[in-house]
Amino acid sequence: MSEASVDARRRSLRFLLRFVALLIVFYFIVASRPVNDAVIVPFTAGIASVSGKLLNALGEKAEVSGTEIRSSSFGVNIENGCNGVETGLLFGSAVLAFPARWSRRLLGLLLGFLAIQVLNLFRVITLFWIGLHRPALFNSSHTVIWQSVVVLFGVLLFLLWASRERRLSAAPSPTVRDRPRKG
Amino acid sequence: MTPVERRRETAPARPANPLLSGRAALRGLAGFLLAIAFWFGFSRAYEKTFAAGSGAMTRLFESPDVTRLEAKGGEILLDRRDFPPGSARPGLSGPDIHFNFVLLAALFALDPRPLRGAHIARFLAAAAVLWLIHVVALAFQVHSVYATSLGAWSLANYGRVARNFWAAGWHFYLIVGRFAAPFALWWFFGRREEEAALEKPPARRRRKRI
Repeated sequence: MSEASVDARRRSLRFLLRFVALLIVFYFIVASRPVNDAVIVPFTAGIASVSGKLLNALGEKAEVSGTEIRSSSFGVNIENGCNGVETGLLFGSAVLAFPARWSRRLLGLLLGFLAIQVLNLFRVITLFWIGLHRPALFNSSHTVIWQSVVVLFGVLLFLLWASRERRLSAAPSPTVRDRPRKG
Repeated sequence: MTPVERRRETAPARPANPLLSGRAALRGLAGFLLAIAFWFGFSRAYEKTFAAGSGAMTRLFESPDVTRLEAKGGEILLDRRDFPPGSARPGLSGPDIHFNFVLLAALFALDPRPLRGAHIARFLAAAAVLWLIHVVALAFQVHSVYATSLGAWSLANYGRVARNFWAAGWHFYLIVGRFAAPFALWWFFGRREEEAALEKPPARRRRKRI
């Protein structure tokens, strides 16, 4: 194995170690009771509220109570693991573990989290509709298909961001000598 | 033309080997659909294998060895020889543990040549590690049920630290571990060395002293 590939392997491992360490730290923050009660539950209730409004705009008669969305014949409770936060943590840990400038990391985090939440909103609405009109398909759509789609979307967003980051890092930046002199 | 402009003009617009391209995303989508079809076809058989592995691992640390795990209809039935006869047996959801196989397969499908022998060998190695992760995750879930869901029996047999350890371990897998595992395995096994070699940290800008 060449020195370059050993070096590449080492960098890959360092990324993975940073990624796992960040994921563990973020998990303990998000799972702690004060953060869960003050941030995660109200955030999830916000998702339920927006989903309820969109469902009503689409003609479904949905009522929202806290993190629950109900109609006369079907109801769902948006729990941890279904609010897009877990994919956000995955995405955030990968972005922060990847070598990049802080300004680009913060921009990536903001846009990525927003994109994940938009897809997750679509997921909640679709699952409610499936539960209401095609209940036999609800379990497999909920556990296998939609969860995989949202997480895969998060991973692809990270790869897209990392590709762009690598391109920007590879582009030549002006050195002191190249800058036009004043005066 | 300034030296900066000249250098920008000669620089390639994109790196030769991006982490993600449109074609790679299409391959990922195809891999995802194939993996879902495969998962629906074989998940019941797969559940039997990791339930057996997890049962054996749990019994290894038990004295007397009483835990029995049986995969049945998408559930893993948790049985103990010392449960009262005729009492209900807890059923644990199998898909919640192992649906992440679909993610692993979709990520491996991103490769420009996903069907070449070396790549498939790496995929099989990653899938074997994922199987081990499923075995350990199910063992955590079993102990989490023992430690927190059996009332007075749980309190008598599991201390506070043990209860938190097993419950937090299972919760970690459920919330982030099952999503992170396929990504980490793909990152480690699935990417070619030339891809990894391009990920150098950004060079720090050095000021020239005059």
